[in-house]
Amino acid sequence: MAYGSADEMVFGTAKQPVSYGFGIKVGAGRVIPELNYAPRPGKEKDPESLRKEYVDYIAKDALNRAVTVGFPDVQLETEWVSQMGNPKMATPVVEGQKAICEKFHEEYGINCAVRQTIPDQREAEEGYRPGMGGKHAYPEALFQCAEIACENGADVLSCETLGGKELADYAVTNGDITAFLFGVGYLGSIDMEYVWSQFVDIAKKNKVVAGGDTNCSGANTSMFMAGGYLDNDVQRTFSAVTRAISAARTLVAWECGASGPDKDCGYEGPIVKSIAGKPTAQEGKNCQCAHCDLQGNLIAQCCDLWSNESVEYHPEFGGSSVQCWLGSIGYEVSLMNTAIQCGQEKTLRDLYMISDRARGPEGYILAYDNAYQIGKAIAENGDNIYLRAKAAGLTAAKLIKGGYEGKEIQLTNKQLEVLDVIIKDLEALPDDEDKFFEYCDKKYSELVPLYDKKNYGL
Amino acid sequence: MIDYKGVDFSKILKRYDVEAQNETTPEAVAKKMLPADPVLKNVAECVLYMKFKDVGPATTEALKTHKPLDIINKGLVVGMECVAKLYAEHIYYLPEIMMAAKTMEIGIAIAEKQIPGGRETKATVVMHAAEGDPHDIGKNIAAVMLRSSGYTVIDMGKDVAVTDVVAKVEEVKPLMVTGTALMTTTMTAFPRAAEILVKDGVNIPFMAAGGAVNREFAESFELGIYSEKAPQTPPIADKVLAGYDWKRVRDEWDNIVGGA
Repeated sequence: MAYGSADEMVFGTAKQPVSYGFGIKVGAGRVIPELNYAPRPGKEKDPESLRKEYVDYIAKDALNRAVTVGFPDVQLETEWVSQMGNPKMATPVVEGQKAICEKFHEEYGINCAVRQTIPDQREAEEGYRPGMGGKHAYPEALFQCAEIACENGADVLSCETLGGKELADYAVTNGDITAFLFGVGYLGSIDMEYVWSQFVDIAKKNKVVAGGDTNCSGANTSMFMAGGYLDNDVQRTFSAVTRAISAARTLVAWECGASGPDKDCGYEGPIVKSIAGKPTAQEGKNCQCAHCDLQGNLIAQCCDLWSNESVEYHPEFGGSSVQCWLGSIGYEVSLMNTAIQCGQEKTLRDLYMISDRARGPEGYILAYDNAYQIGKAIAENGDNIYLRAKAAGLTAAKLIKGGYEGKEIQLTNKQLEVLDVIIKDLEALPDDEDKFFEYCDKKYSELVPLYDKKNYGL
Repeated sequence: MIDYKGVDFSKILKRYDVEAQNETTPEAVAKKMLPADPVLKNVAECVLYMKFKDVGPATTEALKTHKPLDIINKGLVVGMECVAKLYAEHIYYLPEIMMAAKTMEIGIAIAEKQIPGGRETKATVVMHAAEGDPHDIGKNIAAVMLRSSGYTVIDMGKDVAVTDVVAKVEEVKPLMVTGTALMTTTMTAFPRAAEILVKDGVNIPFMAAGGAVNREFAESFELGIYSEKAPQTPPIADKVLAGYDWKRVRDEWDNIVGGA
């Protein structure tokens, strides 16, 4: 564990801060706003339209607003649209965003940088690894995108990799926690190691920071489907446990040499930060433009970058959407940094955390004291990707059960019923990794048509 | 950590999910809906309680005394209707829908074999996720719900090229076509496909759905109609089957999806 106790963890400071771009220092004593955006539909029609949207409108608007309201730092994040798999579409955007950051840095002294998050378009049915013969050659394109991003001006390289998604989709829709453990905790970790060891090499070669990943395609799918109090697709106890399992997978990018920050939508950030001490990007209350969750305040507790998740570029009364949402995250960050400067950061952290601690099971297990316990369960199982993911899930489930029995958090009867099944299912699994694989391989070969162990080199 | 032991969380948030939880049991809801005939009731209960290992033997047994179509329509489908009701009342959730649907399909497959020429479904719907978009979980859920409601679904999968969608629609002439997208730059495939269909004289609803899609976008192109969430798809399909064209679906959309 990077931290001696949960109480050491606080927003704005990481054990291993990272510097990049034009004066950006993440985890070095202050939180940095990270703005994410999407182009308007139709702007993907040709390279110049896309460049203009991303650079002349989005980046310029955002940097202008940052200067207008006096934000000392801003990080832009471009999550590549699928069309940017074509180098002719991607290169002008990456180059242009770098150039405009440099211009603003030189002109105003604002600290800024761009995270380039490349798309993982791999499909299980076509193969996850290069040379498997898929008609789109998506695995080959994935690594080509990393090269393009790093060669043309990325400050941070990130990706939302999809390894294990075919099992995660089945797990979430069928309420099968073992399938999630197998898909995300086990196979996902294998895929992460395969992908991120290469990303780290590509980034290093180009003197770019390899940031990190997120289990967006698994744990976030689960969280969004679990939704809020009016939703009835997935139980929130199920979603909470998937989040804990996903931490064991997200950690792998950092174990491969990525230095952080990880990705904003990885709500598992507090868990992985407790283990590795690397900076984490988070999103919550100020990402309502993209989605609603039940831990909007709490998840700010240990962040080093604070994000809006994503907003489509369009006009609002207060300026363009990117300007409005930069204002939203930027002022929140300003409050956090004020707390740090006044020596009140732990007080604010605790207020954030307490306000959502009882709102739902996922927030409950992500509260920094509980996140730390899950982190410890992962760390105690070292490099065994199966046992540590299982331990993360089981620890989270038991924390929720304990919180329920101790009357700290309420659960519906259904949430409790599902929680009990999860504990029973996870406890029934073997301790031996080979036996677990053998069992799951047979079971899910029959149940999940897209599952193919060859995608994981097995 | 700040001591929060004395905090009254009810002053901070309200757990509407706990307060409003439905204590009714599946048995209580199903009691009013299940068939009186004990053989058909047994088949329906297999679906209702997701007994996918029992549904095969139960269907085979029922075939000795009942017509296959009756077993399907008055047994298996009724069981699924109970499940839909339980889902609407927040007693059952998505996993139960998925498992019950799977159970129903096992039974239907057995009964169908005894129907010369196979069973006729309500209509065919072609579904896909947009070109460049690898996210299709919503489409998969909607497909299960459509099949459970008696439709044949041709699921083209994810990342489907516009030309392939158009070719499939023109080949099978479905009741409607659906497309899902999670990204603003992939959903633009829908108006492109619709434009070709219109040009080729195809006049069926093109349902646009998914995280990036909103009603305004879905209704911005000819043929386009909207679905906000998977359970809305069957009632919309039912209206199209009843003769609504895409313009009328748009006009009456709020009423159509009101209960979904």
